[in-house]
Amino acid sequence: MNRESLKDVREGVRAVLPFLLAVAPFGLVFGVTASAADVAIVPAWASSFIVFAGAAQIAIVDVMDGGGIPLVAFVTAVVINSRMLLYSADFGRYTAPFPWRVRLPAAYLLTDQAYLMMSQRYPDPGDAPRAIPFYFGAGVALWCEWQTTTTLGIFLGSTVPTSWSLEIAVPLTFLALLVVAVHNRPTLIAAIAGGAVAVAAHGLPYGLGLIAGALAGIAVGMLAEERSTAAARSQP
Amino acid sequence: MTMWIVVVAAGLATFGIRLSFVALFGRFSVPARVEQALRYVAPAVLAALAVPGFVAPNGSIEPFNLFVPAAVLGGLAAWKTRSVAAAIAVGLPALWLFQWLA
Repeated sequence: MNRESLKDVREGVRAVLPFLLAVAPFGLVFGVTASAADVAIVPAWASSFIVFAGAAQIAIVDVMDGGGIPLVAFVTAVVINSRMLLYSADFGRYTAPFPWRVRLPAAYLLTDQAYLMMSQRYPDPGDAPRAIPFYFGAGVALWCEWQTTTTLGIFLGSTVPTSWSLEIAVPLTFLALLVVAVHNRPTLIAAIAGGAVAVAAHGLPYGLGLIAGALAGIAVGMLAEERSTAAARSQP
Repeated sequence: MTMWIVVVAAGLATFGIRLSFVALFGRFSVPARVEQALRYVAPAVLAALAVPGFVAPNGSIEPFNLFVPAAVLGGLAAWKTRSVAAAIAVGLPALWLFQWLA
């Protein structure tokens, strides 16, 4: 790596610093939740580097703790992470000039924050020689922080009394991610349908209510989008 | 043991998703219909995860429990600031206050 690339790596680390503050409570919540839940703690801890995706990790612990079947926990995690297909489709244009020994770790580090920051800073994949070192700086910083805060949360978790009602931190985390994901009418309708169906189907065994809510929300969101584009087209 | 299987399977699948188009040299794009569905994954799944956590905190549905007003305040804080930390910093003390008042 030459000196210019090192500068880009450092810039990536610097650019991600404000996000590290936002990610810290998320990591702590995962750790505390995992240690309080009725799940094997070592694989729950290891999911921080095996899965390395916060919302999916919390969902796995949530489903397994609620007596859900392992298949539902797995499917939920895959559905949550399926949004990364979109990132991968765009990110693949940046990694194309690089060899496998760069592409494999780059794919492993792909997260909402690292990808979005890189694509905002370097919208043109032609800038890949600068964008990829920048991305690695941001990605590795996020990875280190995620391992540190989730591990810390697991140690803290056993010392937190249940009277603190910390279990509300998990849905609050999902809610905070949700209000960012809702940015127009169809996404709002998808969220309302997803939440309503998940509550209505809450009695279903194995955590299937969650899958029902997710699928209903996606379908209703797509319908709402088609209706709004059709309405826009019929207007002069 | 089941937790290990779930975590390793989810990890492999997640890596597969991340690698998918990176492995294809970014030469192909996502079909339009799939891309449209993926746009609604985040709002649908996050709502399906969050809402039952507030409405049924102890497993059975209780629409008038103290988690609900705490969630409203935490949600407002998140909407204003776009931050997970703010949602927890407002929602959790709000819940303590409601529990103390009740």
